[in-house]
Amino acid sequence: MRVSNRLALISIVLLILTAGATDIGFARDLARTGKASTSMASVLLPNSSPLVSFRFLFNAGSALDPKGKEGVAALTASMISDGGSRAMSYEQISAAMYPMATSFGSQIDKEMTVFAGTTHLDNLQKYYGIISGMLLDPGFRDDDFNRLRTDAINFLKESLRGNNDEELGKEALYVAIYNGHAYGHQNIGTVESLEKLTVEDLKKFYRDNYTQANFVLGLAGGYPKGFEEKVQSDVAAKLAAGAATKLALTQPEKISGLEMQVIQKDTPATAISFGFPIPVTRSDQDWPALLLVQSYFGQHRSSNSYLYKRLREIRGLNYGDYAYIEYFPRGMFQFQPDPNLGRRQQIFQVWIRPVEPKNGLFALRAGLYELNKLVRTGMSQEDFDATRRFLTKNVNTLTKTQDAQLGYAIDSKYYGIPSFTDYVRDQLAKLKLEDVNRAIKKHLQAENVKIAVVTKDAEGFKQAALEGKPSPISYTSMPAKEILEEDKIIESYKLNFNLKKVEVVPVDQVFQK
Amino acid sequence: MRLFKSSLLLLSIVMPLTTSAQNKIFPYKYFTDDLPNGLRVITVPTDYPNIVALYIAVSTGSRNEIEAGKSGFAHLFEHLMFRGTEKFPAEAYNRALKNAGADSNAYTSDDRTVYHTVFSKEDLDQIMMLEADRFQNLKVPVDLFKTETRAVLGEYNKNASSPVRQLYESLRETAFKTHTYQHTTMGFLRDVENMPNMYDYSLEFFKRYYRPEYVTIIVVGDVTHDGVVQLVNKYWAGWQRGSYTPQIPTEAEQTAPLSTDVAWPTTTLPWVAVAFKGPAYSDTEKDKPALDLISSLGFSQTSDLYQKLVIKEQKVDTLLADFEDHRDPYLLTVVARVKDPKDVEYTKAEIIKAFDSYKAAPVAADKLSAVKSNLKYGFALSLDNSEAIAANLAPYIALKRTPETLNKLYDLYASITPQDIQQMAKKYFVETRRTTVVLAHKEKQNASQ
Repeated sequence: MRVSNRLALISIVLLILTAGATDIGFARDLARTGKASTSMASVLLPNSSPLVSFRFLFNAGSALDPKGKEGVAALTASMISDGGSRAMSYEQISAAMYPMATSFGSQIDKEMTVFAGTTHLDNLQKYYGIISGMLLDPGFRDDDFNRLRTDAINFLKESLRGNNDEELGKEALYVAIYNGHAYGHQNIGTVESLEKLTVEDLKKFYRDNYTQANFVLGLAGGYPKGFEEKVQSDVAAKLAAGAATKLALTQPEKISGLEMQVIQKDTPATAISFGFPIPVTRSDQDWPALLLVQSYFGQHRSSNSYLYKRLREIRGLNYGDYAYIEYFPRGMFQFQPDPNLGRRQQIFQVWIRPVEPKNGLFALRAGLYELNKLVRTGMSQEDFDATRRFLTKNVNTLTKTQDAQLGYAIDSKYYGIPSFTDYVRDQLAKLKLEDVNRAIKKHLQAENVKIAVVTKDAEGFKQAALEGKPSPISYTSMPAKEILEEDKIIESYKLNFNLKKVEVVPVDQVFQK
Repeated sequence: MRLFKSSLLLLSIVMPLTTSAQNKIFPYKYFTDDLPNGLRVITVPTDYPNIVALYIAVSTGSRNEIEAGKSGFAHLFEHLMFRGTEKFPAEAYNRALKNAGADSNAYTSDDRTVYHTVFSKEDLDQIMMLEADRFQNLKVPVDLFKTETRAVLGEYNKNASSPVRQLYESLRETAFKTHTYQHTTMGFLRDVENMPNMYDYSLEFFKRYYRPEYVTIIVVGDVTHDGVVQLVNKYWAGWQRGSYTPQIPTEAEQTAPLSTDVAWPTTTLPWVAVAFKGPAYSDTEKDKPALDLISSLGFSQTSDLYQKLVIKEQKVDTLLADFEDHRDPYLLTVVARVKDPKDVEYTKAEIIKAFDSYKAAPVAADKLSAVKSNLKYGFALSLDNSEAIAANLAPYIALKRTPETLNKLYDLYASITPQDIQQMAKKYFVETRRTTVVLAHKEKQNASQ
C-alpha cells in the first residue's frame, strides 16, 4: 500500500550534499511574512543540518471514521499525499519532486494522521511550496479518488488477505479485540465501506478534522529563522480553527477464556497471533516496566529474546517469535517501529511467525505456555539486569535520524513524557526487579486471550484445538532431553476455549464489512 | 580525491587518509587497510555521536552455489553464523550482544552475505572480538545445524503467501539455464527441504568462503582510524587465507525470447514481469549506468508509462523496475500488477513498447538531467546516519571492495548522453535478451515456454 510504503521510503532521509548555499532570499521573505499563530501546537528541533524534515500531524485518525464510512480518514490522507493539490496535478507533483529525490508520504492510525517528508535546504522553498499546497489546498479530484480508493480496496484484498498471512493475522487480531469499539476496523477501512465512499465524504472529514486545533507542526533541521512562523501562518490562513476532536473511547469488550478466529485460506504455512488489551500506554507509570518485559520476552526481530530462543532457536519451529505492548504494523518489513502511532489504548500481543501446519497447534500452545510461565514465575534478577543494560543502550538506535527524533518528540508530547530516550533511560535506571514482576502480574495473563490463526485447514485446526488432545511437535533433529520433557507438557497444555467465541472465517470475509 | 592504500605487508603502518571528499558522491573521508592475509578494512569516522555500525561483507552469495542440490546454502550459512563457537556458544554470544545493547542481524543476496551490528562505541573492542571469533572459529554441532535448517524453512514459509516471490522464482528459472542466478537466494524449495542432510557440505562451505580474501570489514561511526586498525590487528591478523575460487558457469547466449505462465492457487491480481538480460556492474563501462538511468526514466513514478498505466488509465496499481548491481550479467526487470486480467497482454505490450521507445530516438536532455539529479540526491541524501552509510556502502564493497567505486559510478552517470542511452537500448532491448512471466490466479498450472 502506498500509504505505508511511501512513508518507509521517506523516512530514509537525506544528508549532506557538500556546499549548497542556503537560500538567504527565502529566509528574508519569511522574516517579513511575520505574523504567526501562537496557539498552534508545534515540535521544533532546529539544528545545523542541511536537511529539513517535516512532520505535519493531526490528532485525528481512523477511530473517527463514522459507522459505515470506515476508511474515510485513511483515504483522505492518501488523497493528500498521493493525489494532486488544487494548483498541481499528481503528475505535476511527481515530476517536480523527482529531481529533488524527495516525496511526501502519509501514515494513518487510530488517533493520528501524519504527513512526512525531508528535503535538502537547497530545495526548501520549492518543496514546501508543493507540500503546503497538497496539505492545505488539496485537489480532491475524481480520478485521484478512483485510483486511490481502488488501491485501498486492493490493499485489503491483495496485500493483506492475499499476500501477507502474517500481517493478515495481526490485523485480524486487532479487529477482533476491538470488536464494537472505535478501534474496531482496519485503518484502511472495509471493502464494503470503501466501495460506498464518495469524494464528498472525504471533503467533510477534511473540513471537520484537519483543523488548527488538531494540528501539530513538526520541523527539524537547518530551516531558516522565521520558517516555522511562515508555516504556522499558512496553516492558520487555510485550516479552520476548529476544536480538538473529542472522541470518548469505550473499554474493549471483556475476553472470557480463549477466543479464537481461524481464518480459512489456501496457504502453505500457519500464521498465529494472540493478545489482549492492557491499560498501559507510554503515559503510565508501569510502561517502562512493561517495555522491559516486552524486550526480555519478545524483543522485535531480536535473537536475544526468550520466546525466540525457546521456539525458534531450540525447536526450529519457525523464523521468529516476538511480543509487543504497542501497535507495530509492518513488522515483517522493518526492524524498528515507526513513530506517530500514538494511541490511548494498547494491547499486549504475541506474534508467532508462520509454522508448518502440522506444528500449528503445538506452536499456539507453546506461546501460551510460555506466557503463562512468565506470569507465574516472573523475571529473574539476572534477566532483569541484562535486559535493562540492553535497553538502556539500544534505545539510542531508535532515534538515529533527524526524522525519527522528530517523530519521537511529537509522540512524547502526545503522551506527556519528557524526551523519549532520556525518559526511557531515566525510568530504567529507577526500575527494580519487583516493579517489573508486579507489573507482569498486574497486566499480563494467559487465560483470557484472543487468538487469530491463518491456515489452510481451519476447521481441522479448530476441531483439534477444541478436542484438547495432545499436539506433539514434529522434529527433524531431536533436541535435548529436557526440551523433549517440556514438549510433553506443552503438547497437552490445557486450552480453555470459550466455545461461543471460536469461529472459522473464510479469508474473503476478513475486512469485508 | 586520492586514496592512499595501506601497505600490503604491514597493517600496523598507519595509513594517511583521503584528504578531500569534495564534489564526490561519497562525501566522507575513509581509510582502507589491507592485512597480509587478504582481509580488508574500510573505516569511515563520522560526526554522529556514540553509535558504531560494523558491517562485515562476505563476497559470497547464492551466485556461489554452483553444485546441484545446494541452492540456498549461502543463506543457510548466514543463519549458522549465529550458532556459536567453542569459546562463545550461541548463548554466550547473544548474551554479549545483549549486554552491548546491540542491534545485530545479517542478510544474503545473490553476490554477498552481510553481517551487521550497531552498538555503542564503548563496546567496539568486545564486538570486534566476538565477530573475529565466529568468522574464524565457527563450530556448529550437527543437531543445532539441523534445527537451524528448520528455521530457514520457516523463513521460506513466511514468504510463501506472496505471489511476488513465485514470480521472481519463475523469472530466474526461465531466464537462466546454467548461471547460478537461476535460483533465488532462498533457493529451490526442494533444496531447502533437504538441508538437514547437508551437514558435511556446510563444513566445506565454511572452509571455502569464510576466508579473509572474501571478507571486507566496514566500520562507520564514532570511531578513530587508529582505534579500528589496532583492534583489527589484535583480533583478525591470525586468520588464514584460503585457496578456493569457484567456477561460476557462464550463461550461454539466449537465442529467442523466453516466457512462462505461472498459475497461483489463491486469489490474486495478475502480475506481469518483463525482463532483459543486461550487463554486470561496472564502474568503468557505460552499459550498466546507462541502463540504470533508463530503468528510472522509463518506469519510475514520473515516467510516461507510470503516468499512463497507473495514473491516467488506472489499469495497473504497481509498476516498478528492478536492476540491482550484480557481479555477472543480470536482468533489468519491470514488474506490474494489473487490476483486470483482461489487461495483462496490453500491459505487457506497453512495457515492451516503453523499452523500445529508447531505441527509436535519443531521450530529451531535460529528462536525462532530471534523472541524474534524482539519482544523485537520492543516494547522497540517504546517508543520514552511521548505519545508513554502512548499509549503503556494503553492496558496493562486496562488489569492488572500495567506496571509490561509488564515485566512479556517479561520474559515469554524469557523463552519459542521450546518444549513449539510445545506443545501449539498441544493444540490450532485443528479443533475444527478453524473458516475460505472467502470474495469475488459476486452479491448475498450465506452463509453457
